[in-house]
Amino acid sequence: MMKTRLSPITRAGLALTAALALASTAQAAPDLPAELPPFGKDKPLVVPKITQTTLPNGLQVWVVPRNGIPRVDYVLAVRGAGLGADAPDAPGRAKLLAGLLSEGTTTRSSRQIAEAAQAMGGGVGASASNDGIRISANALASQAGDMMKLLADVARRPAFPEGEVQLAKANALQGLKAAGAQPAFRAAKALDGAIYGDHAYGRTQETEAALNAVTAEGLRAEHARRFRPDRALLVVTGRIDAAKATQLAREAFGDWKATGEPLPELAPPPATMPVQRLLLERPGSVQATLRLGRPGMPASGDEQVALRLTSAILGTGFSSRVNINLREEKGYTYGARAGGVSWRVGGAITGGADVRNEVTGAAMTEYIKEYRRIGTEPVPEAEMAMNKRYMAGSYLVSTQLQGSLGQQLAGNWLVGLPADFLGKFVPALQKVSAAEVQAMGKKYFNPDEQSWVVVGDADKIGEQLKAFGEFKVVKP
Amino acid sequence: MIQTTRRAVLGALGAAALALTSGPSLAAPAAAPAADRWQIPVHVKKLDNGLTVIISPDPSSPTVGISVVYKVGMRLEPRNRTGFAHLFEHLMFQGTPKAPKGVFDKVITSGGGSNNGSTRPDFTNYIETAPSSALESMLWLEADRMTTLDFNAATLKNQQDVVKEEIRVNVQNQPYGGFMWIDIGGLAFDKWENNHDGYGSFVDLENANLDDVRAFHRDFYGPNNAVLAIAGDVTPAQGFALAQKYFGKIPARPTPKPTDFSEGLNTAERRLTQSDKLAQVPAVAAAWKIPERGSRDQAPFAVLGQLLAGGDASRLYQGLVKGRELALNVNSLYGLTGVWEYDGPTLFTVFALYKPTTTADALLAGIDEEVARIVKEGVDDATLKNLKTALLADWYNGQEMFLLRADRLAKLQTLWGDANVVNKVPGWIEAVTSADVQRVAATYLTRANRSVIDRKPAAMLAAPAAAKAASQP
Repeated sequence: MMKTRLSPITRAGLALTAALALASTAQAAPDLPAELPPFGKDKPLVVPKITQTTLPNGLQVWVVPRNGIPRVDYVLAVRGAGLGADAPDAPGRAKLLAGLLSEGTTTRSSRQIAEAAQAMGGGVGASASNDGIRISANALASQAGDMMKLLADVARRPAFPEGEVQLAKANALQGLKAAGAQPAFRAAKALDGAIYGDHAYGRTQETEAALNAVTAEGLRAEHARRFRPDRALLVVTGRIDAAKATQLAREAFGDWKATGEPLPELAPPPATMPVQRLLLERPGSVQATLRLGRPGMPASGDEQVALRLTSAILGTGFSSRVNINLREEKGYTYGARAGGVSWRVGGAITGGADVRNEVTGAAMTEYIKEYRRIGTEPVPEAEMAMNKRYMAGSYLVSTQLQGSLGQQLAGNWLVGLPADFLGKFVPALQKVSAAEVQAMGKKYFNPDEQSWVVVGDADKIGEQLKAFGEFKVVKP
Repeated sequence: MIQTTRRAVLGALGAAALALTSGPSLAAPAAAPAADRWQIPVHVKKLDNGLTVIISPDPSSPTVGISVVYKVGMRLEPRNRTGFAHLFEHLMFQGTPKAPKGVFDKVITSGGGSNNGSTRPDFTNYIETAPSSALESMLWLEADRMTTLDFNAATLKNQQDVVKEEIRVNVQNQPYGGFMWIDIGGLAFDKWENNHDGYGSFVDLENANLDDVRAFHRDFYGPNNAVLAIAGDVTPAQGFALAQKYFGKIPARPTPKPTDFSEGLNTAERRLTQSDKLAQVPAVAAAWKIPERGSRDQAPFAVLGQLLAGGDASRLYQGLVKGRELALNVNSLYGLTGVWEYDGPTLFTVFALYKPTTTADALLAGIDEEVARIVKEGVDDATLKNLKTALLADWYNGQEMFLLRADRLAKLQTLWGDANVVNKVPGWIEAVTSADVQRVAATYLTRANRSVIDRKPAAMLAAPAAAKAASQP
């Protein structure tokens, strides 16, 4: 399915997801209004209690019962089945593989699956990321058993019917064409290449040739190769008790057998990459789409929490440095961001904003300034406290939602983080010092080590780019 | 813990009048299994200055969601100031005499929270969520900007620039450019309030001045034109007391006389072909005017919309993406909001990318066939039950997050005058019959009431024209 922006007219396109910390009760910022009431006392941190079971076939089952909305949420995460497992000549194959799981099984047609899910007041669908494929399902609480069966059918017995495969291919080819018209899509592809080089993480977008080469038989083989219980985790959250959920999982997945050898683990991508400067031509563009990036940190890296805090300070949310500077002070952009993203064996540091053509160079200068500052000056105590509280609060808000909790647990597991990472995150965050943040800034946000990708009208912005080095021009 | 069900009661401060009006008398008992029922507690109170306050307690997480909804949106912005309601929304974050620019975000971020705002035809909402330790600080900030703003030329200029970048990034620099929600309204509606571009023209945005900002705040942002809702880790007594403490002293302000922007269904089809310089794949938007809010046709239309375009089991997905294999995808919209969240002329819009090998007419013919089938045959019992189940689950999903729950309650109170609609919708959906669905399909989904934009890549439009020119002597 393609993404269409259907909901504009908001203050910013920033998602209100959650996250973060409960630190001191001291007000973080100076010059606050005298009348402003202080924050109240924080409540003790709530850590999710996870009931963990491993079935004899190796499938792990984690259950977190909740008593809110009358719904159950399932995530079946299959490690190593994602984009990282795609062959060099088949980039993005995992997306079609995931998408077609719910388009027919050995006993149900695509339409029967859709209708069954609707009848349960829920849905079932899969998506691929670098380190795995996640099949997510939910249903009204009364339908917990039937939805578990449907989930297992989709995960274990997809049929990849010929007609569905051909239709998905044809639509993906058109979708690729449509996406290519969006500057952010082209920028992301080029930036991934600059950050990851030839590593599988760097070639996750489909190509026309790769899509044309897809066959039903090939997908069946990939499914057999990638899907196995000893590489899978089922997370259950919602209105169901742990014993019942585990029992349902046993009935639906207990006789699932692994075949053949498990896939080898991915080797890490390079820790550093040569700097590239690319100008992706887009004649007539009314904005320059600016992106910068370099290799980052794997999820289980020792300094993961410090990197997340550094990212928040520099580039996440309305109060981050790049957004205050480029949006609130200068009015260059609707939103500016920067920060790290981490996968199982590697990661990326990325940032960027879409700005009007006239301020392309000025906006790049501000990015460079903010990146240099975070690595050369300690972050003031008030700003440290503000961001720690922001991240702790976001943690609380996001775990309010049972579906989000399940997705976070499954996502952490796929990238190699332990089950208790979520619960230990906030206390770990409190311990991060300004010196550690500065070290992260220096190591990962040094502006001299960032590659730049700019999508725009060369006639309008080419001159401004000259001050930043030589840009290689890439035709559409 | 299980949610308890309570009727709206007066809080501890109990003096003020209750502002509950009843919705349409459509309610029916919910037939969902007991395990799937979910009542949202709704406590409502009106302060002396006219501010309606809603508290929905839920102690399952130590966090709160807040929504302040003002009953003004794009329809009511000044005539020569398209886009002003939205620009004004941005200015609500730009500081006050007591809390200068930057303080608002800094306090909420420091409180562990996030905030946002959005502008729609019938309302503008301001939302924030955070650990409950930040509740009082956030209420103070909301009350402060309801009282007055820092009417400041520098921040006005800054946000004029930011809004222009927003329009560039969301419209001008994007394929399709929002034609399925901006241009389609311009085509389908007759009255200016309904058919102008709510993002606004750059000329109008640039002409906005501080007097406009002062007048808009004075006229539309008083407590009597607003609803405050808090959901989550708060009790009714505590919430009402805090609302009184921080908002109680803001004087009510006169609001302008209501304008009549109602308009009937269209009587002849409207068609437009547009050229898109950025798109690579053609798209079509087909839109129909829908029932008025509170009409007996509204719940049946919700079921009809689900039947036609609600996900992969829907008739249009199965008939156009699958089946006829004409479209790459099918999306649907109820204006810029939802099927229960409007209070004026609104469109049900179906939006699809279609294959270059077919035409918009073929796609529309496919839609017509699906609609005709519904008009003729209605919907069988099993399917009807599934549609209702899906709608019920969707309704619940939209109120799981405290922030969205508060926002829904505030919006329903603003638009319906009754936040308890939150608990009535399931019964209204349950009461819909196959005959109802047939009736609304025949009434609203007609060709005469339809407006269509066929949006083609410029190269596709240029190609036949060039071929034609070349063939001429």
